[in-house]
Amino acid sequence: MNVVDPIIQIEHVNTFFGSFQALTDVSLTVQPGEKVVVIGPSGSGKSTLLRTINRLEKISSGSIVVDGHALDDPSQDINKIREEVGMVFQSFNLFRHMTVLKNLTLAPVKLKKQQKSQAEKHAMELLAKVGVADKASSYPVQLSGGQQQRVAIARALAMNPAIMLFDEPTSALDPEMIGEVLDVMVTLAREGMTMVVVTHEMGFAREVADKVVFMDGGRILEIAPPGTFFDYPVHERTRTFLKQIL
Amino acid sequence: MSEKQVIIDVGDGAAIPRPEDKGLLSAWWLSFLGTLAVLAYLLIFHPDPYLRLLKFLPDGIIVTFQVTIASICLALLLGLLAGLGRISRNRIVNLVASTYVEIIRGIPLLVQLFYIYFALGRIVRVPDMVAAIIALGFCYGAYMGEVFRAGIMSIDHGQTEASLSLGFNRSQTMRYVILPQAWRTILPPVGNEFIALLKDTSLVSIIAVSDILRRGREFASESFLYFETYTLIAIIYLLITLVLSKILSNVEQRLSHYERR
Ligand SMILES: Nc1ncnc2c1ncn2[C@@H]1O[C@H](COP(=O)(O)OP(=O)(O)OP(=O)(O)O)[C@@H](O)[C@H]1O
Ligand SMILES: [Mg+2]
Repeated sequence: MNVVDPIIQIEHVNTFFGSFQALTDVSLTVQPGEKVVVIGPSGSGKSTLLRTINRLEKISSGSIVVDGHALDDPSQDINKIREEVGMVFQSFNLFRHMTVLKNLTLAPVKLKKQQKSQAEKHAMELLAKVGVADKASSYPVQLSGGQQQRVAIARALAMNPAIMLFDEPTSALDPEMIGEVLDVMVTLAREGMTMVVVTHEMGFAREVADKVVFMDGGRILEIAPPGTFFDYPVHERTRTFLKQIL
Repeated sequence: MSEKQVIIDVGDGAAIPRPEDKGLLSAWWLSFLGTLAVLAYLLIFHPDPYLRLLKFLPDGIIVTFQVTIASICLALLLGLLAGLGRISRNRIVNLVASTYVEIIRGIPLLVQLFYIYFALGRIVRVPDMVAAIIALGFCYGAYMGEVFRAGIMSIDHGQTEASLSLGFNRSQTMRYVILPQAWRTILPPVGNEFIALLKDTSLVSIIAVSDILRRGREFASESFLYFETYTLIAIIYLLITLVLSKILSNVEQRLSHYERR
């Protein structure tokens, strides 16, 4: 039925840490431009799932195809694939020894061989977009958490990725800063970015998600559009979880 | 995760007079001024033999510094390789680096010095000074490797993940992200090793390198003024290490200021 191929295709993935199975028979497809929100209790494998998509975590079996590249194909350069997949972390992980501007230009200049001036121009546009242009020459320690996370989003965008992964981007933030980061993410979603977001922000999930994925114990228990998911959850486990957090 | 708490403590250099350690800071001034006073007293009131001796020693001081600086350069290079090797995922590289560290750390420096000097002498004839530099460099490289390793591991793993997620490979990550941050952690213990190395160069006097100590021994064996000679030599070493540890403390200060920004 689909005329376009999925941009992420995860099929029957199992992941082990030693003898502990973190993902069990996980399958998920994401279409270009689709926004997927992943929720579930702590330890359910949400981060692990997200991190398999850019192979920060290796899978034990199954297959993952990202934008036409099979991740387990040894002839594929994983670093090239990662350039297409931006990632935003809970703890921001800005490069602490570099200014905000340098954080944004490092990868485009070194990896995409962009001219410094061109990379800086693009970086300034992105910083303006996320509302921290005035902090371009500051160091990460001088920024608030919300500002750091917005810079982190801009840093990922500087590589012009086709996909953006977010792992609990607002969980480390003071409540008053959550909104400013979510706003940036909503804007990005409106512009048509393909996004996979692990979050506990149910308002964001309702507003932005095309589908919500519920995980528990390393399995995907339920995938549904937000309306159906929040109002008519199928699994007992999903209902208990939603009751706990809402 | 348990690797997060890293304390770099390779304490055979010198006591660094950090400003927060008031006791040590006063002790530094006391030692420094006291030593200068003793030196002045000896030179003014007993110019013979002390002034004569002092004129005899500068060649040795230069040699001591030459050996120290050349050895530390070699040690830094080997230390970086050993440190990277020790954290490498490649089993063989890791094993080679770990074995190097293990073996070197298990042999007294003086024995290593003799060994490299005479073993090297069997294969190629190298100048004494080169043998000394190789021996000191290899020895300190092993310690330096542990310093590099600890410094690299003190950097939050999130930095590596962010770098990898942008598309950098592991060596680019090391070069652009990890090492530039690690050097601030590494610099103080490296400075400490530098001072320790400077003191340990006195061992090379045994294998015919004309450092301060050997020059002193030459003087003493001609003049039989053993007490006077070693008094002055001790004063010179002490002054050098005191000045170096003060410089190091100032550099550390600068760095932590930079960090706070
Ligand atoms: N590197 C690892 N080594 C061993 N076990 C791991 C590792 N990473 C994750 N795990 C385990 O795998 C399981 C899933 O972890 P994961 O981080 O994916 O959970 P999560 O759903 O993201 O949880 P949270 O909401 O707390 O972030 C957990 O039980 C965790 O302890
Ligand atoms: Mg997680």
